Parts: sequence; structure tokens; C-alpha cells
Amino acid sequence: MAVPKRKSSRSNTRSRRSQWKAEAPTLVKTVEGGKVVYSQPHRAKVVTDSAGTELFLEYKGRKVADV
Amino acid sequence: MPKPTKGPRLGGGPAHERLMLRNLATALFTHGSITTTETKAKRLQPFAERLVTFAKRGDLHARRRVLAQVTDKTAVHILFTEIAPQVAEREGGYTRITKLGYRKGDNAPLAVIELVLEPVSPKAKPAKAKAEKPAAKAAAEVAAEVVESAEEAEEVTEVTDEAVSEVAEEAVADAAEEVEVAAEAVVDEAVEAGDKE
Repeated sequence: MAVPKRKSSRSNTRSRRSQWKAEAPTLVKTVEGGKVVYSQPHRAKVVTDSAGTELFLEYKGRKVADV
Repeated sequence: MPKPTKGPRLGGGPAHERLMLRNLATALFTHGSITTTETKAKRLQPFAERLVTFAKRGDLHARRRVLAQVTDKTAVHILFTEIAPQVAEREGGYTRITKLGYRKGDNAPLAVIELVLEPVSPKAKPAKAKAEKPAAKAAAEVAAEVVESAEEAEEVTEVTDEAVSEVAEEAVADAAEEVEVAAEAVVDEAVEAGDKE
């Protein structure tokens, strides 16, 4: 099995880790029932009842899957 | 004919991908709708639609060619006897992919791929739309002209109203000045009369 010859320096480790970045998702802004909602484009949304219980996934007015 | 896939195969290799696509297609034809990852759904779409095209042809040769790919006889039977008549009117686009959320374990983007079995409702053809558009445009232009002429007429009436009112005001002002002048003259005369006395 290949094994590292030397301990990786603190500098090298930190330089490598400085490239781990989170990406902001691209969102679309819509107004639903007077509220501004940000959501992912072209992706089904969860439909909830008034109590907040998740019912099913909906896309373009069609039920596509259960939660 | 679907476009050949470029890049690496799904799974371990070409054979693995073929098997995976067969199994996915079998599941799709038996259940009508399956939830899988986006990548697999995208790869499955052309494969499954090609099989549906064979099913629409419906002869024994077509059935044998499908059976060479999907080895489940039950699924092929469902495809030829139930699915094919329902999509007989449809000119391609037999499946629909809808993107869902992300899988809990590995955050993989999931999608639902389903057979489109609703009856075809064709949209208005573009040639017709083109014919309708110029007519609509012409109607709109005529309407706009009518509106403009009406607006112009309104403007004219406004102008005349303003002119009339201005003239009247001037006349009133002139009259008032004359009255003032007359009053002054009267006052002067009175003063002169007083001086004489």
C-alpha cells in the first residue's frame, strides 16, 4: 500500500482547505399569496396544509410524488 | 434515434450500465412512474422511449427486439398491450422527468420519471398562430388610431374651453378697470367741487 513519506505541513494542509467553499444556490423569486418566496428553479415543491403538515410534492399544479 | 452517450458509463462499466438501464426500464413499464437519481433518469429516458417506439410498431419482430433488451416478459407484455395503445397518438416524448429534492443519505438529486399516458392535446400550430398574429396586430393598430383621434378631439375641446375662459376673464378685467377709472373720475370731480366751494 502506498504510504505518504512525510507529514504534510500545516501550510500545505491549510492552503488545500482554503479552497473548500460553499456555493450559494441560484434561486428564483416568486410571489405566492402576497408573500415573496425564494425557491430552486425547475424543482418540485412540498405542499403543506394549514397546520404545516407535509402532504405531497407538486410541480406545475400536478402532484408528482409523496413526501 | 437517441444521441449516443459520451463520457463515462453509469455504474462500473458498459455492461453494468446496460443492466442498470434494463432494470430501470422494466421497473418503469411495470409501475408507470419511478423515483431515481437525476442522472439515471436522464440516461433512462432515450432508452425507454426507444422501447416504446418498438412497442407502437407492435409486430413480432419488434417484440423480439425489445425482449433482447428487457428480459422480463411480463413487463414487455404490459408495454405492448397496455402502454402502446395509450401512446398511439403521441409523436414521441413518452416519458416525463420531474426533479424532486435531494436524497437524505448522499444528497443526490432525485427525479421522478413517469410514462406520459394522458391523451394528447395538441397545441395550436405555429402557422396558424402566425396568421392570427398579423390580424390581431392590425386590429390593435386600428384601435390605437381610434383612441388617438379621440384624444386629439378632447385636446381640441380643452383648448377651446381655455381660450373662451381666458377671453371672458380679460373682458371682465377690462370692465373692472373701466369701472375703477370712472370711480376715480367721479371722486376727482367731487374733490374739485369741494375745493371750489
